[in-house]
Amino acid sequence: MLLVDFIRDELGLTGTHIGCDTGHCGACTVLLNGVAVKSCMLLAAQANNSEIKTIEGLTIDGELHPLQEAFLEQQALQCGYCTPGMILSSLFLLRRNPNPSEEEIKRAIDGNLCRCTGYLNIVKAVKAAAARMNRQGVSSN
Amino acid sequence: MRPRAFEYYAPVSLSDALDLLYSGEEAKILAGGQSLITLMKLRLVSPNTLIDINSIPELTNIREENGVIVVGALTRHDQLARNSIIREKSLLLAEAASVIADQQVRNRGTIGGSLAHADPTADLPTACTAIGATIVTARVKGSRSIESAEFFRDYFTTLLRQDEIIQEVRIPIPPPGTGGAYVKLTKGHNDFAVVGVAAQVTVDSNYVCRAASVVLGGVAPTPFHAKETEKFLMDRRLDDKAIEEGAQKASEALRPPSDIRASAEHRLEMAKILTKRAVGISASRAHGAA
Repeated sequence: MLLVDFIRDELGLTGTHIGCDTGHCGACTVLLNGVAVKSCMLLAAQANNSEIKTIEGLTIDGELHPLQEAFLEQQALQCGYCTPGMILSSLFLLRRNPNPSEEEIKRAIDGNLCRCTGYLNIVKAVKAAAARMNRQGVSSN
Repeated sequence: MRPRAFEYYAPVSLSDALDLLYSGEEAKILAGGQSLITLMKLRLVSPNTLIDINSIPELTNIREENGVIVVGALTRHDQLARNSIIREKSLLLAEAASVIADQQVRNRGTIGGSLAHADPTADLPTACTAIGATIVTARVKGSRSIESAEFFRDYFTTLLRQDEIIQEVRIPIPPPGTGGAYVKLTKGHNDFAVVGVAAQVTVDSNYVCRAASVVLGGVAPTPFHAKETEKFLMDRRLDDKAIEEGAQKASEALRPPSDIRASAEHRLEMAKILTKRAVGISASRAHGAA
């Protein structure tokens, strides 16, 4: 069983999406022990004894994560299908590089395809989230 | 589609993994899985047994010993790209690792897996051939060392035996005055190489070339040594003119394929242009290191 199927079908966490059959689109991106991976390219068994963070894990006590807020404010989503994976890839970036340039953001999300937005607002959202997180001191969230 | 059913093992020691590999008939090693799981989902490959080596500690770690950098087979591309020893002493390898696919693939994919898979459009086989890396393998019956130049035999075909795995890659630390670079042309942004060039040159204090290694990927079934370019650059002062002339020879003896990414003509032309760029960057890095 693939990890993405385990997350969606066994755990009922359907925020993680399947957007392709070939491992290209990144809609299935989750954090495995803090590292961004495409969950369709891992077996569920490989996640044994590991910590997985899905998009559902970013909202704490009903409060949206700064990345989620920024994506809303910057209109960085339309259909929303790529959004969970996009946000988790961005979270991985911001944990390693709290103040990324536009170029660094683009490189960090080039494993996540979006068919709706044209990416510009996504990049803006990541920049805005970075600024907010740095102000709040929320660097490891 | 989903993979066909298989038996799954996750040994925690190298010797357990080798025993499993030796006794299983259609067993495949699962490392990063970024190529293997794709193939299994498409059902182009359906091994009846998978041996997951991701829990084996002997296969991780990058260290320097006796003039050689030793890279464990399970080293992820992202680690290779960011490691300070590799960036300082083999920037070409770090550069090649940093342009593989996308971040998620680089977070899982491994150097051992990339070399064993031997995709002709991949980046690490080309880079490892250019830096003269030695591949150290292990099987139940013992271990052997294979030069990169010998290791790749054909599309997706290496000298690896069915019961053998890559344990580590050993990279000779180049002498002072050496510079290397990896330049890649892709169709999309994070794609396999249409043409990839790995170049490494050593120059003396007069900027005269004392060693040259120029290897092309994406243009042949295996990494291709541009021997005419290497011969031309040797003992020549590496000014723009010499590099330009040397690069023109890169396409000699080259018979690249035409496929969905590019025509043969395009590859021939791009081989020369990218060789010029890669050698140019290597030469100025070598000059800086002299």
